[in-house]
Amino acid sequence: MSDFDKAIAQLRACRPIPEIQVRELCYKARELLIEEGNVVAVDAPVTICGDIHGQFHDLMELFRVGGDVPDTNYLFMGDFVDRGFYSLESFLLLLCLKVRYPDRITLIRGNHESRQITTVYGFYDECLRKYGSANVWRYCCDVFDYLALGALVMGAASELQGTDHAFVDPNAQATMPSADCDDLEIEILNQTGHIVSRFRRKDPPAPQPNDSQLSNPGSSPSQQPNHTPSRNGAPGTGATSSSRGSSSNAGASAVLCVHGGLSPLIDSIDKIRLLDRKQEVPHEGAMCDLLWSDPDEIEGWGLSPRGAGFLFGADIVKCFNHKNDLSLICRAHQLVMEGFKEMFDSTIVTVWSAPNYCYRCGNVAAILELGEWGANGGYAPRGNGDVGRSSGGGGGGGGNGVLAERVEQREGPGRRYRVFEAAPQDSRGMPAKKPVADYFL
Amino acid sequence: MASGIDDRYRLALNRLPAAVTHTFSSPSKRIHDGEDLGFFLSSAAYRDLTVWLLQLNRSMFPTKMSDGKLETCTLTSPPTYSTNVDNLRSMLTTLASFIERAPPSTGPRRFGNVAFREWCRLAESEADLLFQTHLASVTQAYTSDDPEVSNALIDELKAYLLGSFGSAQRLDYGTGHELSFIAFLGCAWKLGAFADGEERSIVTGVVQPYLELIRKLILTYTLEPAGSHGVWGLDDHSFAPYIFGSAQLGPAFEPDDYSKPVPTEGSLPSAPSPSTVANKARTLDYKDDNMYFSAIQFIYDVKKGPFWEHSPILYDISGLKDGWAKINKGMLKMYAAEVLGKFPVVQHFPFGSLFRWETDPQAAADGRVRSVHSQQQPAALVSKDVPLPGSSVGTAAPWANAKAMGSGVSVPQMQNSTGVPSTRAPWANSGGGGRSRMQAQPASGVPATAPPWAKRDVPR
Repeated sequence: MSDFDKAIAQLRACRPIPEIQVRELCYKARELLIEEGNVVAVDAPVTICGDIHGQFHDLMELFRVGGDVPDTNYLFMGDFVDRGFYSLESFLLLLCLKVRYPDRITLIRGNHESRQITTVYGFYDECLRKYGSANVWRYCCDVFDYLALGALVMGAASELQGTDHAFVDPNAQATMPSADCDDLEIEILNQTGHIVSRFRRKDPPAPQPNDSQLSNPGSSPSQQPNHTPSRNGAPGTGATSSSRGSSSNAGASAVLCVHGGLSPLIDSIDKIRLLDRKQEVPHEGAMCDLLWSDPDEIEGWGLSPRGAGFLFGADIVKCFNHKNDLSLICRAHQLVMEGFKEMFDSTIVTVWSAPNYCYRCGNVAAILELGEWGANGGYAPRGNGDVGRSSGGGGGGGGNGVLAERVEQREGPGRRYRVFEAAPQDSRGMPAKKPVADYFL
Repeated sequence: MASGIDDRYRLALNRLPAAVTHTFSSPSKRIHDGEDLGFFLSSAAYRDLTVWLLQLNRSMFPTKMSDGKLETCTLTSPPTYSTNVDNLRSMLTTLASFIERAPPSTGPRRFGNVAFREWCRLAESEADLLFQTHLASVTQAYTSDDPEVSNALIDELKAYLLGSFGSAQRLDYGTGHELSFIAFLGCAWKLGAFADGEERSIVTGVVQPYLELIRKLILTYTLEPAGSHGVWGLDDHSFAPYIFGSAQLGPAFEPDDYSKPVPTEGSLPSAPSPSTVANKARTLDYKDDNMYFSAIQFIYDVKKGPFWEHSPILYDISGLKDGWAKINKGMLKMYAAEVLGKFPVVQHFPFGSLFRWETDPQAAADGRVRSVHSQQQPAALVSKDVPLPGSSVGTAAPWANAKAMGSGVSVPQMQNSTGVPSTRAPWANSGGGGRSRMQAQPASGVPATAPPWAKRDVPR
């Protein structure tokens, strides 16, 4: 293992490892990944991350904000490579960590983990430039074929134990729920760990005007339609009827993590399990859709402007979650200026982890922490008796921008978002210029 | 041939004879598959685009006058512009003023600002008026005041002008749109809008203001880079300023001596070293005079981070030791391969009566033009991103352009479609989607307004 430790140290310093080591690493990784199912079971607590796109220094910032491997259990939802300058270092580091700590980091496949896409969007060029041949690109692509297509997070707590850090705005503290209130649902922290805001389940965030006709579908916050809050009782895992709320279990039901989204060909998680995933991402079909689709403010299914995958609306998500006993779908794949965005009454969330994407988008990044059920000392499991407090009730609890009420859905897990900005730029030295492309010879 | 003047490097786009009746036609897309691309590369339109680009490029080098003085080409000391150059400048000013009438939407959005669609709508609805106001003298010469002919002419020019500001649907902009503007100016040349020797004015007086308008549009509406490989492309949006800007800093020569080609190495003695581009502060010193530095400055304006990291290709080029003329030559080669030679880019180029979809008769007959072709082509001209004809082993999406993109998964096709922020499938046709429901899958009816896609070698 010391070889991998050395490789990890070298990659952490943003220095590529020799080609022969890459070959060995990729071989080991494949042996490991081939044992994983198409949908990996992951136990909470876990920290879920979105697109990285070769932004190595921002990945280091992510680890600083979210905690290091193996102390923190991570789940990366794909798109490690392309566009950025350090796809190679970023992907190899994650792969090294996977091989070294297989139970502490889960990698699933994004649409960029593909031969065809990487030849277009940069990773192929980068490998050629850094190694002078396409061998390393080929080794990495062989690993891509073995990456799981999704993950199912089990045992996440429905209530969140708040952190005891200070609030960014000290005045906000008085109006926010306390860290140990028994129904804290969401906490948002900045990169220094200060609390930006907190939400408890029974306080729907203040509504904002619904601007959805102005917005790009699936886009930024504050376009959630207003919904009258009407919730069913507390959830219990496994139950499917309206009496599913079980006082014996305050764990939220499972969370499905996938890079893109749903597929019209997949109505149950078991169908994902049946796919033959060990291949290049196809141009169409269920596997393609899982990696390419996007949620959108439509009904049913729509064609995707990407030319692959589909758009899917709230009804699709709610139906899928209900049928599969999910409380939340967690996906990446789309830039979100605020780093994360919950949609459709918090039945699906987009998590984006590449800050200031492509050096110019000005967005912040986020990671999502799901706590472990039973790990919180202070909460009181809620039973059906709580139903009454949430039925009907005061006028419209649309999003506060990022968050929204749920309708007839299982209670999602408690969610802690850590939002962070791009890593400081100044400390990076200027490298020697490389030989130019043939055109200039 | 014996005593003739040696003018083998004289290149100029042919003008349309004013006396001859000409049938204008509304341009349409013709490049649908790899074979079509092959045809394009030997077409009259391709020859014209190449000749026009080289003609403009030659004019941008510093001039050695007959009295031995040097006349450099800087943006801050413009020549006196002709009426038509001034007219085109006014047209661009008017187009820029539409931004005030289409203010960016403050509502929620993912990236590109939907108000750009309103700007495009304004440009389209006012285009006829713009032509009447600014180009009436040009159009009249060919239409004898026949409104039908006049409309046909304006339709033809309008396709290139309106195609040059980015995609309203996708809210992006790339080199395909830039090519459309070069072609628009080529049309104007063919129609006699410009005099011989006016090429430099066209570039500094019209192309540069066009690029400035584009930068304003990109910033105002946060247009996505169409055709970006992320950090692994030359520039997120543009190519032309790197060609013309490097020519500006090349060594002086006698442009009227057509026995000599443009310089291919060396620099103007007073030119900044190519390495200057990696220095943000010094870029400021040259951005107002030089198109290359002006483009570099825009990168500094929009990107945060080390230059070598977000622009590694430009950074590497800045290390060239053989001067700006060498860079210019490389840029032309790269343009031929990465823009004109890329199916994803030129599939959107429309052909009409001025840029014609027909075999270049001179390509075969005239060795001179042929030499222009080969001189500008990198070895593997027919780039491998071209879908291989007949190799439809694959599983193209029903909405993908099956003819063009239908080859198998095992033969990666390349696209250079979009950079930030969302990825589009290389095998899909461009644009479209989003509104129709699944049960109404269009067979191939997805509007194809997508800008450049492209790529080079197929990795093996």
